[in-house]
Amino acid sequence: MAILEVQNLTYTYGSDAIFIKDAVSDVSFSIDEGEIVGIIGHTGSGKSTLVQHLNGLLKPTNGKIFIEDNNIWDNPKEIRKIRSKVGLVFQYPEYQLFEETVFSDIAFGPKNMGLQGEELEKRVIETCEIIGVKQEYLQKSPFDLSGGEKRRVAIAGVMAMRPKIIVFDEPTAGLDPKGRQDIMEIIYNYRKATNATVIIISHSMEDMAILADKLLVMNMGSLVMFDTTENVFKNGDKLREMGLNVPIVTRIFDVLKQKGLNVPDDVFTVERAVEVLKKLKDGERNA
Amino acid sequence: MLRDITFGQYIETKSPIHKADPRVKMVLLILVVVLIFLAQSMYGLLLSLAFVSMVVLVTKIPLKTYLKNLKAVLPIILLTSIINMFYGDNDSGVLLEVWKLTITYGGLYRAVFMALRIVLLIIVSSSLTYTTTPNDLTDGIEHLLSPLKFIGLKSAVHTLALMMTIALRFIPTLVEEAEKIMNAQKARGADLESGSIIERIKALIPILIPLLISSVRRAYELAEAMECRCYNGGEGKTRMKQLKLTSVDFKIMAVTLIYGVAVVLINIIL
Amino acid sequence: MDNIIEVRNAVYEYVDEDVVKRAVDNVSFSIERGSFTVILGHNGSGKSTLAKLLNGLLKPTDGDIFVDGINTKDEETEIEVKRKVGMVFQNPDNQLVASVVEEDVAFGPENLGLHPSVIRKRVDDALNSVGMYEYRESTPHRLSGGQKQRIAIAGIIAMEPSCLILDEPTAMLDPKGRKEIVSTLRKLNKEKGITVVLITHYMEEAEKADRVMVMNDGVIIDDNTPKEIFKKVEVLKSVGLSVPQTTELLYALKQNGFNISTDVLSVEETANAIAYCLEEE
Repeated sequence: MAILEVQNLTYTYGSDAIFIKDAVSDVSFSIDEGEIVGIIGHTGSGKSTLVQHLNGLLKPTNGKIFIEDNNIWDNPKEIRKIRSKVGLVFQYPEYQLFEETVFSDIAFGPKNMGLQGEELEKRVIETCEIIGVKQEYLQKSPFDLSGGEKRRVAIAGVMAMRPKIIVFDEPTAGLDPKGRQDIMEIIYNYRKATNATVIIISHSMEDMAILADKLLVMNMGSLVMFDTTENVFKNGDKLREMGLNVPIVTRIFDVLKQKGLNVPDDVFTVERAVEVLKKLKDGERNA
Repeated sequence: MLRDITFGQYIETKSPIHKADPRVKMVLLILVVVLIFLAQSMYGLLLSLAFVSMVVLVTKIPLKTYLKNLKAVLPIILLTSIINMFYGDNDSGVLLEVWKLTITYGGLYRAVFMALRIVLLIIVSSSLTYTTTPNDLTDGIEHLLSPLKFIGLKSAVHTLALMMTIALRFIPTLVEEAEKIMNAQKARGADLESGSIIERIKALIPILIPLLISSVRRAYELAEAMECRCYNGGEGKTRMKQLKLTSVDFKIMAVTLIYGVAVVLINIIL
Repeated sequence: MDNIIEVRNAVYEYVDEDVVKRAVDNVSFSIERGSFTVILGHNGSGKSTLAKLLNGLLKPTDGDIFVDGINTKDEETEIEVKRKVGMVFQNPDNQLVASVVEEDVAFGPENLGLHPSVIRKRVDDALNSVGMYEYRESTPHRLSGGQKQRIAIAGIIAMEPSCLILDEPTAMLDPKGRKEIVSTLRKLNKEKGITVVLITHYMEEAEKADRVMVMNDGVIIDDNTPKEIFKKVEVLKSVGLSVPQTTELLYALKQNGFNISTDVLSVEETANAIAYCLEEE
């Protein structure tokens, strides 16, 4: 069942806009409950503008957005309620921390939703368990944490609202490999614990290959592909035309194919690559 | 509002006045302001009107744009005019008597005169910001203040100019950042649009604190970067851009001087 | 051998909540003039502190660092050291001083007190060498991250340093911006002979370096050619680094009984190695 449906979404910025946002033109798609969808596209393709429509931060110039079959702009005064259904984690979310303790920062979102007292406390603690923020951190100042920890706390602040759809805009930007892996893990854990629908903007095709069920490809404000990760990565040439690429493993297999080796075209992860090559090796031995 | 702060009021039309030296423009502006005050007679003021109209024409910026700037000061113009209206001498003949207030022809004349004077001052001042980029203005101020170097204020002049440069550079960055933080907090359900004044001010805390922290961080990183670029307080610093007077500057100076002489002459003769 | 930088038993300590911590722990090495060195390490490994030690932004608590024979501790030659060893940081936004590109690039040479005509020439040359000359009159605020970082590099190049140190210059950039920076650095190294020390956690950026140093807990745990370093997948993973997917695949194949060499780096080479290995069987 579709939890999110976008119909003919168009966003144009006025000439008097202070900051130019990338335009989006006539984008339509729908996402089923529990899916993990990756959004790829180079900088300026409109992906950040697109996701800011999903929780009503931007109002479409044209088109409609439905969350659980309700048009989110039916009642503009109630738009704030949408934000607890669709959580949005911005790039470098650690720059939004402001409270004195980690606890109260994570509690900010749920408190805005009306949670209080024990319920609020329970919510914060549960969230910390899901994403692995230690209990003893809760009374610390968020500003005393390391960069990676700050990011985790900031993400927890959105997760604590228990959104049914959670959107991440380049959640691993600027982190080292360990930090990147940690963030990918907490996204996975949140998904497992809540069965939320996850949308991730990312530049890492390798991460997308592991994580995403489907990929949505944006180019110059338009949606050019929306299909299973497998089907999108089979279109390497099309992606390259847009300044994107396929995972490195897939590129290796493209070369192998050119060399005349009989390899399938659905190899996107190292795991799968090893599996395929093992078969090939054993097959040759048997032949 | 934000937009004005962010990008200044500069409007590119490639007119001769755009090309003129910012120092010349600034000094001449001061001169013209003085002259407009000096023009005591209607003739002098009409001459000023002619001069300012010429400036507006030469800048190639539509009059409408100039008039926009007037809107903000309209109440001041009206107030000044109205007050002046009642200060005419009674000899000039009474135009209107309402209750205890008398409006004379002389008063009306003064009111129109004052209003016209303020309008001219604002238009001619706008012409400087419309035709000069904030960077050129900074450069001009630094150069004009450079005589202060000789009385031991050398580093003060450098520091002031550098502060202005950095402010110009970082205002857009910080405005953008404020917008991002605002969106991030809105995404966490923050309500910035409703409630009492106190509630609204309280709602700004989640925006102001991160903004303050990030500004401090930026300042710290910028200081390090500047140190790496051999900044040591402006000691022995030179400038790449040397302001040079060109023929445009001399032409503008000549025209302004002619106007100045005419105003003074009118004052003497009449 | 002609070394631009010599580090001898450098230690850097700082106090955090009353506890003395060592960010750099007795490190010694030298950087050859004209070389391209990559220092790898996770966040908190001490690599940023090391970078700041190399141009005298920080002074070693113990030990010495020499730039072109000058001790960075010498206060009188502090500016000279910074001119010789230029430094570019992670966030391009926080390094640019002026709101016009060419005026920003001129900031360094202006501080050096050069003649206006010399500054003009250096600014133009620097902007050309990073491919940003046509943007000289733009405002940095309107440029992409990669472009802004190139301007920051030009601002350093305009001081004509012998060595360029970059502390995670690509961490905040998208893949396109990252490529722009890496190719700019290669060009500066090859064509202008500028010594480059690139600090990063992106392994891919180390592929074409002359030398790779791996840092962990304030210590240099390995120092070798990229090919040799990348073979040590386990070691790298244990210090919070990852290897390029090419190496990861070869390593996985080897663990699965493939008789394959793991000292290749590019996609092309990896495919060749796999094809060769399969033929051999």
